[in-house]
Amino acid sequence: MGAVTFPDSKVIDFITQNVIPLQLPHDHKPLADQFQVKWTPTLVTLDKDGKEHHRTVGFLAPEDLIPSLILGRAKIHFDHENFEEALKSLDALLRDYPKSGAAPEAIFIQGVCLYKTSHKPKPLKDVYEKLQAEYPESEWTKRAYPYRLL
Amino acid sequence: MATEIQWERTLDKALSRAKAEHKPILMFFHNPE
Repeated sequence: MGAVTFPDSKVIDFITQNVIPLQLPHDHKPLADQFQVKWTPTLVTLDKDGKEHHRTVGFLAPEDLIPSLILGRAKIHFDHENFEEALKSLDALLRDYPKSGAAPEAIFIQGVCLYKTSHKPKPLKDVYEKLQAEYPESEWTKRAYPYRLL
Repeated sequence: MATEIQWERTLDKALSRAKAEHKPILMFFHNPE
């Protein structure tokens, strides 16, 4: 990550403008234990109170790191039940990074946000159909499988 | 335009900035060796 992803100009711009970057050694005391870090690179998205909302382990290329960070921001809003803000982030992720590894999970959470705000099941069924059509091998397609019956 | 990422090195400083700037924190654990 240090040789390829973090020197990337788009990554530098995105991180500088959108997140507070904190770099720690893998054996940092006490945070490596507190966050149960077992492998590197581990990237954790925290809210302003220090609560974890999103995590990845392993290398991410620039074109996957930025959408993963957007997904982390969306999950903070989702966990705080701020669905409108979550949807803004998810819409941006799916518009700008539809081929990224974060996209299937973004579609899943997008559907849940729309269900939470509408209280209608159609967005969940749409989630399954979109995932099945565009990401048939994704674990998120399997997780949405029951929604096909709605 | 920044030419490199300006990493914070302590969680306290990152939390302080996160509150002030209304941004999430990206906490990156790495192996410096």
